[in-house]
Amino acid sequence: MANLEARGIPTVGVATTEFIQGAEAQAKALGTDPALVFIPHPVQDRTDDELKQLADQHLDAIVKLLVK
Amino acid sequence: MTVLLDPTSERSPTVTPRLPRPERLDGLTIGILDIAKARGDVFLKRLGDRLSERGITVKHYAKPTNTRPAPLPLQQQIATEVNVVIEGLSD
Amino acid sequence: MSTVPRDGLVAVVKRDCPTCELTAPVLGELARRAGVAVYSQDDPTFPETVPAPLDDLDLDVSHRLKIEIVPTLIRFEDGREIARTYGWDRGEWERVTGVGGLGEGLPESRPGCGAKNIEPGTIERLKVRFNETGLRARRIALGDDEDEQEAMFSRGWSDGLPLVPPTEERVLRMLDGTARDPQEVVGIVPPALAPATVEKIAINAVMAGCKPEYLPVVLAAVEAVLDESFAMHGVLATTMFVGPVVIVNGAIRRQIGMNAKGNALGQGNRANSSIGRALQLVIRNIGEGRPQEVDRATLGNPGKLSYCFAEDEEGSSWEPLSVERGVKPGASAVTVFAGFGLQGVVDQKSREPESLARSMAASLKAIHHVKSAPGCDAILVVCPEHERTFRSAGWSKARLYEELYRLCEIPGDQVIAGAQGIAEGGPASLAGKTVNKFRPGGLMIVRAGGDAGMFSGIIGGWSGGGARGSLPVTREVKP
Repeated sequence: MANLEARGIPTVGVATTEFIQGAEAQAKALGTDPALVFIPHPVQDRTDDELKQLADQHLDAIVKLLVK
Repeated sequence: MTVLLDPTSERSPTVTPRLPRPERLDGLTIGILDIAKARGDVFLKRLGDRLSERGITVKHYAKPTNTRPAPLPLQQQIATEVNVVIEGLSD
Repeated sequence: MSTVPRDGLVAVVKRDCPTCELTAPVLGELARRAGVAVYSQDDPTFPETVPAPLDDLDLDVSHRLKIEIVPTLIRFEDGREIARTYGWDRGEWERVTGVGGLGEGLPESRPGCGAKNIEPGTIERLKVRFNETGLRARRIALGDDEDEQEAMFSRGWSDGLPLVPPTEERVLRMLDGTARDPQEVVGIVPPALAPATVEKIAINAVMAGCKPEYLPVVLAAVEAVLDESFAMHGVLATTMFVGPVVIVNGAIRRQIGMNAKGNALGQGNRANSSIGRALQLVIRNIGEGRPQEVDRATLGNPGKLSYCFAEDEEGSSWEPLSVERGVKPGASAVTVFAGFGLQGVVDQKSREPESLARSMAASLKAIHHVKSAPGCDAILVVCPEHERTFRSAGWSKARLYEELYRLCEIPGDQVIAGAQGIAEGGPASLAGKTVNKFRPGGLMIVRAGGDAGMFSGIIGGWSGGGARGSLPVTREVKP
């Protein structure tokens, strides 16, 4: 993740569930506490419609991490 | 492993804390950063469209390659143009 | 970790010790006649007289056995230590070992040497390794990929400049600089109202770059600013310029190498800079007082990074500021003042005290605003050449105070809002009255600076000084 929080820009990252452990390890190694939303893996073989649906489903969760 | 003693009053977490968030998104600009992994663009474009529907200003950005961190000029550009960022799609 | 035998003899030695060398043949003898586990602190091939010396280069065994002198000889029975001796003494060695006729040809006794595990630096490392530090602050384990400097910056600990990472060893060494209990609460720090223990202050002192011997001064300064009458919360939260200014008096100045002479208010002296910085870091980190948060200063001033200097007492005809404020002559003390900046007083021509006093008074009257009166406070830093002018004329400090206060009387008509075509100013009720620039006791005089140069300086105070605002506080430095 680009470290935009270090530049004063609140950031939320979106990743697939495959990345959960990796995200944890990275956060531990860097001493950070990133805001993350996880969507179900896999993503590569989804149709456009499925991906749009996933975006719709997770929009609120993402926005929640961008506001107080 | 470096261990440091906490010089503070210990009221915050030991890791670098997240930045404080704004009260609401209305009137702000959201940056959407595509980290260039396959199919992320479709997902992120949809997020952008839905946010635009709500009347929030959206700006899209993309890393040139997934394999390296976002180039410095891109980071600086984003930091000066938006208030908050959604970054994805990692897998 | 090496396990010490439950039964039998244990010896701890180092090659770099003449007495250990002397006893090498005796250890060989004991190895043959009774068996002995010999731990070497610096060279696992020593002594050559025993078949298999044991390696204690990391000093774990020495630490656990609390070795202070080498050679040390201990007898264990059933896991318990039942006898110990150190150095070489035939009678003692025979008592501990139960073996007679030891060390034929050797002198009766010879004192041992200091053990490696209690050398300064090593003892802290061992305490940390064995978790015996007694330190209570939360430990923060940095991520493997975190750069130490970035880690401290990103957690908000810094005043903008790099910090010394406060490792457990460094903090332990810092705490050696005081006899005070690390858990003693020195005061409550606004705005978070969090307790500042000696330990927490030591952590910030490490980060600031202090040496352990500076810690008592830092502690005194923290104590002083946390006195209610200093009004630290107000001093922090104000939109005005001020921050705590620390002036040090007494023997401690020279003991720790502070600068009271050339460029005393500038850069380059570790004690001056790091003591002032440590105080600011305490306010930031323990108190959570930070710019654009509770600290609302419009401009602030460069002294909010660090503002600390020593008074030039030697050869001055004036009593030091601390003595003026009731401290015993020679006793080390700090005085804190809510102040900012340095307004220069350039007077290279006055040869008479009256003229020089007029220069200074005219400059003093400009603090904050030429019309800002009454009620100001300030520190007048008189350079040695200027002090000599007063001294040569026989002017005591009291005489100078008297003269300056008199010269700082201002007609009320001049300071009223609107007067002199300036909207700023005081209430109309001041018309026809005389006001003094300063509140009573608002002016403090110290001597500092290089011997050459006729340039004194004024440190302005806080409007809102006095009982409604911040009063200077003096505290003795406790070891």
